[in-house]
Amino acid sequence: RVSSDGKPEKFQPPPKPVIIDKQKQREERRFLSPEFIPPRGRTDPLKFYIERKDMIQRRKVFNIPEFYVGHILAVTTADPYANEKTSRFVGICIQRGGKGLGATFVLRNVIEDQGVEVCYDLYNPRIQAIEVLKLEKRLDDNLMYLRDALPEYSTFDVNMKPVSHLDHEEVPVNKLQVRMKPKPWSKRWERPKYNIKGIKFDLPEKKMKEAQKWSQPWLEFDMLREYDTSKIEDKIWKEVSEGLKN
Amino acid sequence: MMPIWTKSGKKHAVTLLKVQDCHVLRYISKEASGGKTSKLLVGGKNASPFSKSESAMEIFKEAGVPRKQKVTTFNVTDDAIIKPGTPLYAAHFRPGQFVDVTAKTIGKGFQGVMKRWGFKGQPASHGQTKTHRRPGAISTNKAAKVYRGKKMPGKMGNIYRTSFGLKVWRINTKHDIIYVNGSVPGHTNCLVKVRDSQLPTYKDCNKNPPFPTYFADGDEKLPEDLYDEEIFQFTDPSVTYA
Repeated sequence: RVSSDGKPEKFQPPPKPVIIDKQKQREERRFLSPEFIPPRGRTDPLKFYIERKDMIQRRKVFNIPEFYVGHILAVTTADPYANEKTSRFVGICIQRGGKGLGATFVLRNVIEDQGVEVCYDLYNPRIQAIEVLKLEKRLDDNLMYLRDALPEYSTFDVNMKPVSHLDHEEVPVNKLQVRMKPKPWSKRWERPKYNIKGIKFDLPEKKMKEAQKWSQPWLEFDMLREYDTSKIEDKIWKEVSEGLKN
Repeated sequence: MMPIWTKSGKKHAVTLLKVQDCHVLRYISKEASGGKTSKLLVGGKNASPFSKSESAMEIFKEAGVPRKQKVTTFNVTDDAIIKPGTPLYAAHFRPGQFVDVTAKTIGKGFQGVMKRWGFKGQPASHGQTKTHRRPGAISTNKAAKVYRGKKMPGKMGNIYRTSFGLKVWRINTKHDIIYVNGSVPGHTNCLVKVRDSQLPTYKDCNKNPPFPTYFADGDEKLPEDLYDEEIFQFTDPSVTYA
């Protein structure tokens, strides 16, 4: 086709249709802190109910933000022996343990070439503030292998500025593969029992194959170990959200 | 068991004990019991009446109360006698009191001498022939006999033991739960006897306890939770050191 100029017109593809699905409601991101889920056992559910009431009460007075393993947090606690009676520690959360009021989380940082890990109780009344400086999920639930990784992966600036994050977006997953120090390590992280995806193993193929000898492929099919928490979580989520609204 | 924090920021571990359907069953006078004080029989958790004989059920029928799983005796002074059939609640105890808790320990079955009595055993190597966890010598030559009560392997656990002087931190009157300091003998959900402490250090600890007991239909209306003075309550803001 020839236009008025006489030159052939460049083909303009038709504009792609933009489908705005107004019917689909944006799913509200539900996060239930893992310490609310009761462990499997023969304890009376009344005990968990009473513990949850205390936890909700504490959360009403003091805001415990949503955080996962891999987030960088700054925690200020009241310390009777410090100068200003408060001490602040910044670190990456490597583990969240415990259930109920005794829930803990471990923060790791490297300060002046010395690795430091501090284990805090979530519901300790001496904690004055927990700030999330950077939201970032990692590939694993337990980052204890950072102890055997090169120190650059555990160093975080103590005066870091909080990185902004929009509420409705998904928490980003950092697919970082961490380089390790030479063996020996504190635990044999290459074994399938730890199921670690976040390490870049530089070991020879023979060692990796030998580590697979300790794999237990029947474990994922073991029905007695199954603990389906979906219904329990739904009930507890309703209870907790109602408790926090009041 | 659960953690509890004081206002100074210290953490203590606490055991929760539930007072489930406790009733007074019978009053035994001083002369009838043959002891120094009169006794009160108290029954615990409700259970099915069908697995006990008629004669055993008589006590419960007299008191007008369903069959109880655990029946204990309490030595009681004459001014603290309660009518059989009255229910007992957790509010009988108050925060700040000291308490002794008795229960049957977890049964471990037939156990060897190392686990049962803490013997050291023998080395694992250096020529030991088939002897690593044995008691070794059981008596001397001169004695020419084994003394009675010699520590030897046997059934371990499943006996009554008491932990003394446990502080009561908190009472929940709605669900009848007593928060008692430290650990208590017995497995989870086992039946337990809670008694005012007999230790001489805590003789004068009880200031104005509910005497003879807390009556639910009385005039006193208690709040849902009773706390000790030193406990950090979660309604308060975080602890600071001035």
